[in-house]
Amino acid sequence: MSLTFLVPLFLLGIAGIVVPIVVHLTRRQRKNVVHFPSLMFLEKVPYQERRRRRIQHWFLLAMRALALSLLAIAFARPFMEDTTLGVGATTGPREVVVLVDQSYSMELGDQLAAAREGAQEVFGGLGPLDRASLVTFAQGARVLARSTADRARLTTAVDTVQLSSGSTRYGPALKVAQAILEESQLALGEVYLFSDFQRTGWIGDEGVRLPPGSRFVPRPTGDQELDDNFMVADVSLPRQTVSGRERVTPTARVVRRGGSEPREVTVTLELDGQAQQTQRVTLAPDAAAAVAFEPITLSRPHTRGSVSLSDDGLHADNTHHFVVSPGTSLSVLVVEGAGADRNVSFFLRNALQTTDDGRFRVTVRRASSIRPVDLEGVDAVILNDVQIDGPSAERLRAFVVTGGGVLVAVAEQGGWPASAADMLPGTIGPVQDRFQGRGGRLGHLEYAHPIFEIFAGPRSGDFTGARFFRARTIQPAQEATVLARYDDGSVALAERLIGQGKLLVWTNTLDTYWSDLALQLVYLPFVHRLAEYLGGRAEASPWFTVGQVVDLANPDALLTAGLVSSEAAGLAEGLDQIAVTPSGTTIQLPAGEGPRYLPLEEHGFYTVRPPNSEPERPFVVAVNVDLEESNLARLDPEQLSVQVTAAAGVQRDALNGDRAAALQREDQERRQSLWRWLLLGALALFIAETVLSNWVSRRDSQAAEARAG
Amino acid sequence: MQLFASRTRSAGGTQFLDPAVLGRIGNLQLLAKTVVDGFLTGLHRSPYLGFSIEFAEHRQYMPGDDIRRIDWKLWARTDRHYIKLYEADTNANFVVLLDVSRSMNYGSHSLTKLDYARYLAACLSFFSSQQRDRVGLVTFDREIVEYVRPSMKHLDTVLHVLDRADAGRRGDLAPPLLQVTELLGRKGILVIISDFYEEPDRVLNAVGPLRARGHDVIVFHVMDPAELEFPFTEPSGFEDLETNEQIPVIPTKLRDDYKRMVEAHLQALRERFTGNRIDYTLLDTSKPLDMALFQYLLARERMSKTR
Repeated sequence: MSLTFLVPLFLLGIAGIVVPIVVHLTRRQRKNVVHFPSLMFLEKVPYQERRRRRIQHWFLLAMRALALSLLAIAFARPFMEDTTLGVGATTGPREVVVLVDQSYSMELGDQLAAAREGAQEVFGGLGPLDRASLVTFAQGARVLARSTADRARLTTAVDTVQLSSGSTRYGPALKVAQAILEESQLALGEVYLFSDFQRTGWIGDEGVRLPPGSRFVPRPTGDQELDDNFMVADVSLPRQTVSGRERVTPTARVVRRGGSEPREVTVTLELDGQAQQTQRVTLAPDAAAAVAFEPITLSRPHTRGSVSLSDDGLHADNTHHFVVSPGTSLSVLVVEGAGADRNVSFFLRNALQTTDDGRFRVTVRRASSIRPVDLEGVDAVILNDVQIDGPSAERLRAFVVTGGGVLVAVAEQGGWPASAADMLPGTIGPVQDRFQGRGGRLGHLEYAHPIFEIFAGPRSGDFTGARFFRARTIQPAQEATVLARYDDGSVALAERLIGQGKLLVWTNTLDTYWSDLALQLVYLPFVHRLAEYLGGRAEASPWFTVGQVVDLANPDALLTAGLVSSEAAGLAEGLDQIAVTPSGTTIQLPAGEGPRYLPLEEHGFYTVRPPNSEPERPFVVAVNVDLEESNLARLDPEQLSVQVTAAAGVQRDALNGDRAAALQREDQERRQSLWRWLLLGALALFIAETVLSNWVSRRDSQAAEARAG
Repeated sequence: MQLFASRTRSAGGTQFLDPAVLGRIGNLQLLAKTVVDGFLTGLHRSPYLGFSIEFAEHRQYMPGDDIRRIDWKLWARTDRHYIKLYEADTNANFVVLLDVSRSMNYGSHSLTKLDYARYLAACLSFFSSQQRDRVGLVTFDREIVEYVRPSMKHLDTVLHVLDRADAGRRGDLAPPLLQVTELLGRKGILVIISDFYEEPDRVLNAVGPLRARGHDVIVFHVMDPAELEFPFTEPSGFEDLETNEQIPVIPTKLRDDYKRMVEAHLQALRERFTGNRIDYTLLDTSKPLDMALFQYLLARERMSKTR
């Protein structure tokens, strides 16, 4: 240990000691100057000169000199250097970021408690100048404390860390850590990652690069592998209509990962919180099985259902929630010409009726007119190559304006009354033959449109196989949207929005007369999407996954969420709502302009209802965990470490020299803070000197007056 | 103080305006007229009596007297030779030598020494002009700054020069006074107004030649009361107005020594001037001008009698 100085240049300030000496000797009081005609007589007085040149109070001078010396030494930042510490051995003033994984897999072996304990340990080892942040993460990252030296706050924040239902994603958390370190003024950065290091949480290079000089410390929270995990991977809910009532046959897909021996598990179906059926299934290691329950009759909307397994190490993936409601089928009216071939709607009718959940109720009318009664309870109308009269067109106009959907398939017989021509998306022209080669094809589809959206992905339906030998031409109007074109650029499908509904024109037949589309695999999903779009109803999702967000102000989103209850209809109408999370927390969803997002972050059922009310069948959203988190395969922490600090490592070597030594010295000096004591000493000396000099001055004055008297 | 006791003596209860009040009179001529008229009004006898060109008295003829001055009429009546004594020739030269060195710019109250000296010079010039003297003016610091040739018509010029006289440079008596000696050929009354911040011997060396040339020299030593009493109490840096030199001073510790030295200086000046038949008057700028005017009148009266 030896005394040294962090900024020795300030020691030059000791030369300032001469200042009080000079002042003492000269006593030049520049601030209080008296202009006098002549110093002729004053200069002749020998008394002043003698007095000025003589230091009378050595003690006062010594005090001033000592105080100034202490001041200069304090600024030079002295400290006792501990040379036994190696360069870089100290942690220095650091910017510490602690990342705690709170994904649901951390419940295994109580790893979250271990992570909390580890974080407390890190915060307990912080130096007086260190700053630290606490970030929890699952799919996203949340900063609980950002770059603070307040250890109590950090400790309290650690205690609040709870398990979430999310799955592990390291990228967002590491990017937050990177941002904190980059913003920090401290030269040394350390990132502690407490996690179970699931491989699924890291896809490789996610663009995270910790700043140079940063240290990445992976801290696995447990080394036990879960070698046998059961989960409910999926529940299908096929519907049937029997005697006018909808029946659902829940079928759960149970998956087993790991294991060594075949094992029997109990699978339970619960509806509205009550166990309905229980089944046992024996699964071999790494096997899956479908467990079909007895059909249940749907009578009430928003029925909450759960399929759960007997407990194993990881609880969150043992239960799969869903919500089902009756009465979600669409009523489709197919109108064909009175004299048309009997089979003109054969393919269309069969396609609409070929569903596993009875989604469409099809009614066929053979007439050229549509009565008002025909449109009652109808969601969509398909005019299959029929020429309707003017009054029927007007009825359809009213139907469309109020939200209905109409598809006009115009082929050889089809047509539209001129009195309602403004409803069409264009002017229908003559027939055009495409006999050259192998006929025409669909060359362009508007994949962003809801009808073709599901066909956008690869291997999601191929329209190019269909051949079109003849088509009606249509000159699209300015307000129309062309959804599909033939390969020669002519319009195949066009849409016009009228009021709250829409009218589409298909310039071909819906059977095999003019094309072979009805024979293609895409015909069935195409017709289904067409009917669903016309009916204005999207397929309801029985459940969502943790991390998704529902916009409760968007009617389409509510339809997707399975909203059917009239009691919950106020949701989209801008009334105040609250959402009760599975853990019982209430989220306020005030009415107002713009979206009302409900983030789904917990596993279970979210209940949405108006505040201060208890509706009998409130709107419920089922939320399940992301099953990727059930894959407990480990990531090598060193691999992660290398990837996030690869760039930093090169420069850190250079830092290990002079800069590290400088940081070490600075840290030692800050920890000792001898300058505070020196400043206090200087202050005390200055005060003492002031008091003493005043006393001396008074004494001298009194003595002088006594002499003068 | 014995020295200053005589300064407060005034003529027959004549009370002059306070110098501070005079300071508010912007017009120097008006000021001089006010002072002089007031002063003369208060006198028991008119000074014109002594300065007239008329007959004054007879005295017995003494050998060597100019026989042209014998009063033959009186001889006829008395058969004795008397000569007539007339009042002196009034067209004397009257020149004010005013020190305008920077030290004169000092004043601890409303008037600086220079202001006071200007008033005094104006009054004396006005007064002399009334007596039909030729008035002139020389302002000087270390050399002559302004010179107004003595003339009966130059009162306005003198007053004007006085009015704009400004103290700006260091002073040195000897060079300008030597020049004055050469400039003024005709004998006359020279009034020197200065603060005489020089050694007494040097002062006399500067003034002496003027007296030696036959001029009737009257010296007014102008000093501020602060210069005489040194009333300062706070330790301060004292800066010389002329040299800008500064020294730290603790007045309480130095006052006695200072006053002793000033008194010695004044005494030395008085002795040297008196020894050379030069009228010396110390003027305190806080006091009225009567002392100066009386001193002047006495000197004027003394020289007016030509035998």
